[in-house]
Formats: sequence, structure tokens, C-alpha cells
Amino acid sequence: MEAQQIETELLSFVRREIFAPTIELTPETDLVGAGFDSMSLVRVLLFIETTYGLWIPEKEITGETLKNLHALAAAVARLLHEP
Amino acid sequence: MNLIELLNEAAGRFAHKPALVDASTTISYAGLMDEISALSLDLKKLGFQPGARVGLCYANSIQYVALTFALWKIGAVVVPVPIECMEEDIEEIAKSMELSGVLSQQPRKGSIEVRSDLNFNACVLPNPANNHGLNIAFIRFTSGTTSARKGVVLCHETIRDRVFAANKALQIRSEDIVMWCLPMSHHFLITIVLYLTHGATIVLSRHVVARAFLESINHSHGTVLYAAPFHFSLLARDSSDLSLASVRLAVSTTCSLPEDVARDFRARFHRPLIQGLGIIELGLVSLNTGDPFGRWSSVGRPLPDFRVKILNADDQDCGEVAVQGPGFLDAYAAPWIARAELLRDGWFVTGDIGWIDAEGYLFLVGRKTAVINLAGRKVFPEEIESVLNRHPAVRESRVYGRLHAHLGEVVEAELVLEQGEADIQAVREFCRTHLASFKIPTRFHVVRSLPRTAVTGKIRRPPAMAA
Repeated sequence: MEAQQIETELLSFVRREIFAPTIELTPETDLVGAGFDSMSLVRVLLFIETTYGLWIPEKEITGETLKNLHALAAAVARLLHEP
Repeated sequence: MNLIELLNEAAGRFAHKPALVDASTTISYAGLMDEISALSLDLKKLGFQPGARVGLCYANSIQYVALTFALWKIGAVVVPVPIECMEEDIEEIAKSMELSGVLSQQPRKGSIEVRSDLNFNACVLPNPANNHGLNIAFIRFTSGTTSARKGVVLCHETIRDRVFAANKALQIRSEDIVMWCLPMSHHFLITIVLYLTHGATIVLSRHVVARAFLESINHSHGTVLYAAPFHFSLLARDSSDLSLASVRLAVSTTCSLPEDVARDFRARFHRPLIQGLGIIELGLVSLNTGDPFGRWSSVGRPLPDFRVKILNADDQDCGEVAVQGPGFLDAYAAPWIARAELLRDGWFVTGDIGWIDAEGYLFLVGRKTAVINLAGRKVFPEEIESVLNRHPAVRESRVYGRLHAHLGEVVEAELVLEQGEADIQAVREFCRTHLASFKIPTRFHVVRSLPRTAVTGKIRRPPAMAA
């Protein structure tokens, strides 16, 4: 699966379920700066697990991965393609 | 007795010591007392009668702590309303807990502004709430079916007793710096109140990733970590060379600690991660400070003031965990059930299933309750079912916890449909408009019927199911 498609689906999910509708969100929005907390992280990890069958290993949950949705989608795509 | 006296006493001894620290502010004990006094003057203008029950819907912050103590100072009863609650959740809590009003960070429909970040909605009560002559400080709302017990009622004296009983094991001192990352609306008494009573400093952390949290712990010289297994699993898999050299106590709470998290945490930081048994009805019953390496999966021996025994043990000596000790809840609020009626021959039966080894260490193997624990937040199946059952395509539903290797449990639902097929996405959307995001089931399963008990015909509620 391509990172671009994952990014679109992640953006749709966090717009719908994580952030208030008043918050303008793009793939480049700083997640933590926008209010992303540890419960948000749990929700996103569960969405990724149920949608793509992938649990992101804890060692991959870094500041770089969670910088924004573009980076997160790229990490998901990379992990999905790893053997 | 009022819990503000405990804080007053600490402020007398540690006036200039930091009480709370967040990303931009450090407030001393004296400063906290000043803020509480100023807030209590503002709150008095709202006209609360002594014993009025007030909902508090506010995010983790220094202000959350000050507001709680300010409400106590004016004689009000604090009822936490989790910040993630939807409007209809708030209304349900207000109605069932007989709130005089709700203080909220965000303006709500019809609210008046008390301060720029504090709003108030008065509630209309048919009759004033009946506190049955008790000196109530706190009511923890617990959801359930219409017939279930709602609201754990705790008096000032009860909370004081819990705080001092718990500290016989936690040993919090004024030198301690506690790193805080749990929601205050779910955790406050045997934590925040206890830490402040003993002059400790609480550092409020909003870090999501392990590296930033570790840097914060090191920068603050944190000595105590109190968090959910999910937080510790992130820390345990951090690949930096940052240590936890300043930490003397790391306690995993809210749900059972997975073995790999305990093992990886020990390997990464060369210190134990310990568990305890904390119950809202009882306080902190046990803590495994005695053998954290050898018996890592135990919740420890009972604290000095507590006794634990196993009832109705099976042939493996495993049965229901019953407890005696101080700080036992004063009542359930709705319907009102007083303490004396809740004990079985002087013991409180917790709903946990466990066994005790030859040296007195308690091990939990399951629960009789159906409450789901998602990464530290409690989710009540009946609340979600009541929403699902209102969807026109759903005849009935069953919500349960599915064991999850990383999060404790996750929420899943079984649906019996009115007709053969339903748009599950539409059901999910329906949930989204009525439930906080984390309560929406991760998976929906369409089934022909729900398992029921033979005698009463009620929906059978298993403990969390294996994945």
C-alpha cells in the first residue's frame, strides 16, 4: 500500500475521531502541537492495527514518526513493506 | 475535617518549594494556596450551598488541582467529569449525581464565564442532593445499567485515611519529584492529594513519545513514575542511552502489567517496575515493594493496615479477593447504598479473582466485573450498548474487552441486527456522535444471537476475551 493512500486515510481518521472540527489539519500539521496526547496515540495505533494489520513497534514511536501525519504514513508504509 | 487542611499544613512546612510544574509554570505551595484562595472567592459568588455537588470538566493542569482544592475549601463536593465526555455524558453525570452545576474549561451552551478559562452551567435540581449527613468530598461517577450502582462516595476523612495508609508503602517524601502523565479526572486522591500532603513536587508531562518523556524525567530529576503499562511499554523500547538514574519508584497501574513490558523495562533501565492493587472503593490495598524482581506479576502483600483473603476458593486456591482496611467507600450515590450494607461479614468483595502464595503475595488472575480497561481508561460496556441499541438497525448488542498485547484490552462489540444486513460504517458514525472517541468499538461483529445466562436470561458477560 502506498504512503499517499495511508496518509489520506490517517488524515480522515484523525479529523473524524481525534481532533475538534475547528482545528485545521493537514498532513504537515505538528500533531503534538495540535493537542495529540497519549490517548490519541492509542486510538491511532488501534486504527492502524485494524486497518492495515500492523502494530507499530514501540521503538518506532518516536518524535520523528509522530512529527506529522505525512511522517506517520511514511513509517506505516515502510513497515508494511518490510519482510 | 477538610482535605484543604492537609494542603495547608504542607504549605506551612514547604511554602517556597515547587508544588506543581508544567511546561511553562512552576507554582510553589504558597502560590498554590494563594491561587486556591482566589479561586474560592470566585466560586463562592456562584452561590453553592455547603455540600453542593459540582462537576469539574477540566484538562490536566495546575488549575485542575487548584480548582479541586478550592471547591473543597468552600465546602463543595467534587465530581470529576472526564474532559473527553460528550455533552450527553455530562448531562447524564449531572442528572444521576444530582449536580448543582458543572465547571468546565470550554464554554458550553448557556454557560457563564467565571474566568477566561473557567465556565459554569447551573443545573436545575428538583430537590437538593441528599448527602445523608456525611462530610462528602468526592464522588467518582461510574457508569452502568440503570439498576447498577453509580457513583463512589468518599468523605474527607475517608480520603485522608487512604492517603496515610497508602503512604506506608509509597513512602512519598518532600524530596520526591513525581512525573505525572495520567488523566486527573481518573486519578487524583491516592496520587495528587497524597503527593501534595507530603510536600512532593508534581511535574505535569504531556509528552507522547518515550524520548521526550525520558528527557523530561532526567531534566526534572524525577524520582517517582506512576503510569499505565502502555506508557512503560513505550519507555522500555526506547533506543536512546537515557537512563532513569533518579527514579526510585516506578509503579504500573490501571491494568495488569504484561510480562514482556516488565521484562523489557528491567532490561532497559536495570530497575523493577512494580504493580499494586488500587481500587476506587478501597484505595491502595497492596504494592509489590517486597519482591519486585522475583514476583514481578504479583500485586504485592497487603499494606500494613489492610487484610486480604480469598473467598470461595477452587481446588487451585483461587477465588474472589476480599479486603478489610481503612478508607473504605462511604456509599454508592445512585441508588444510595451506605457502607454498612456493602460489606459481607465485614469484608469488601472486590470482584477480582486471585490467589495468595505461602509468603502472602497476592496474584490476580482475572476479574468478575465486565469493565473494560483501555490503556488506563475505564470503559463501561452498558454505556456503549445503550448507544448501540438506539441505532435503528440494531436489535441488541454486547460490548466486551478483547485482550490486547500492548493496551490491556480493547473495546469490541457484537451486534444482533433487526434485519439481515446493516451498514456497520453507519453504526460507527452513530457511535461517533454519541460516544467519546476511545469508547467506540474497534471491531463490530454481527451475530445471530447473544449468549444469555440460563437462570435470569441476562446477557452473559465474560471477563476480557483472548485475542
